[in-house]
Amino acid sequence: MHISPTMKMSDLVQSNFELLAVLQRLKIPFGFKDKSVQTVCREEGIDLDFFLNLSRWYDERDFFPGETLMNHPVKWLVKYLRSTHSCYIEYHIPRIENEIVRMESMDQSGGKNMQLMLKFFREYITEFTTHIELEEEKIFPYILDLEENLNKEHPDPDFLKKARGYTIKDFLDEHSDIEEKLVDLRNILLKYLAPPSDNCVFTNILIEIFRLGNDLNDHTILEENVLIPQVVKLEEQFHKKFPQG
Amino acid sequence: MAKVLIAETSYLVRKGLVGLLEQTDGITELKAAGHPDTIMLTLKEFSPDILLLNSAITLPVSHEKLVSKLPDRARIIYIINTPLPEDSPSHQISVFDSKSKLSEKISFHLQKYRDETPEKEDTEELTPREKLILKHVALGLTNKEIAAKLFISTHTVISHRKNITRKLDIKTVSGLTVYAILNGIIRMEDIG
Ligand SMILES: [Fe+2]
Ligand SMILES: [Fe+2]
Repeated sequence: MHISPTMKMSDLVQSNFELLAVLQRLKIPFGFKDKSVQTVCREEGIDLDFFLNLSRWYDERDFFPGETLMNHPVKWLVKYLRSTHSCYIEYHIPRIENEIVRMESMDQSGGKNMQLMLKFFREYITEFTTHIELEEEKIFPYILDLEENLNKEHPDPDFLKKARGYTIKDFLDEHSDIEEKLVDLRNILLKYLAPPSDNCVFTNILIEIFRLGNDLNDHTILEENVLIPQVVKLEEQFHKKFPQG
Repeated sequence: MAKVLIAETSYLVRKGLVGLLEQTDGITELKAAGHPDTIMLTLKEFSPDILLLNSAITLPVSHEKLVSKLPDRARIIYIINTPLPEDSPSHQISVFDSKSKLSEKISFHLQKYRDETPEKEDTEELTPREKLILKHVALGLTNKEIAAKLFISTHTVISHRKNITRKLDIKTVSGLTVYAILNGIIRMEDIG
């Protein structure tokens, strides 16, 4: 499909409903009537090109997102990544957790397998939350400050001090892999655990884990291959504009 | 069964090869990428057994580095943008090649790959040694501690762990622990 600014937003969603995730994360409300993509974006105060490039990447997956997505103010991407985080924390993760709890309560086998899965998944939640907290509380604020101060005549002294001793590259080195454990859980459920009974719940847990895994993969691509390279460029501009000494 | 990555800048050629390979037997997973960054990213995450690489693409790594990023028995087939002579080597295909020529060369490599890959059993059982290593991993011991305990080198422990992970498709320690409990290698009470 060619995603154009003049096509109807409702047609866009109908031709690929996976794009609903993009709308949701940009906080675009439904009820489009017959409005075009560009009208909806204008009304919601969303950068049209950012929306188009993001949707095209999700839809076609035929180009590297960095090529196009890096040319927008970084605050857009941060906003997007933040709402993705809340989506995980408020919806996807608790949902999977609840399903596993439900599975455990249905388990008549007397074994402790589902209990074990639950323990494993709760460990994962802790890890996942720490990962996201670091980004939300330290990394994203730094990025937003960087972009803001870069546009100022004189940077904020506190930020300047911070910027001298820090680079986003440090973060890239320690950016942990949050998919690994989820993939393990998926493989264990798929290959090594006989489902307690054949029912929709078990299959559904697997489907949701697959979905979340794919989504996390995209999320990491946006963080590591668009956001961080873009911030590296901003840092270079910043140090050029405000040289030391 | 092989995983194949097509690394080709031309949209038309890329789509054409995808179409052709989708009809080819012996491929489990197929991915395509055009931009050098996407190619590197996909190489890392996908680790293809067969790489179809356009020879005109400049990747940010040397040939040796590229080979080291691929699995041991991986094969590279080069896509050439000019016509090739009749007796061209099998690891070169041309964008001018006919369908049958392309199929012939690609199938040849798929076959070779299959021949060189040790027959994977349906259930790849862990060896007793691997089970023992797994037990200690699941109990939370480090590679060093396991090495000291079993009087082997850390290097050997690491190589066993790689095989365990490959056979089970489980990477993390907590995942391995779950597997060990499920299979009675350790008991739930053994871990904190
Ligand atoms: Fe994140
Ligand atoms: Fe992250």
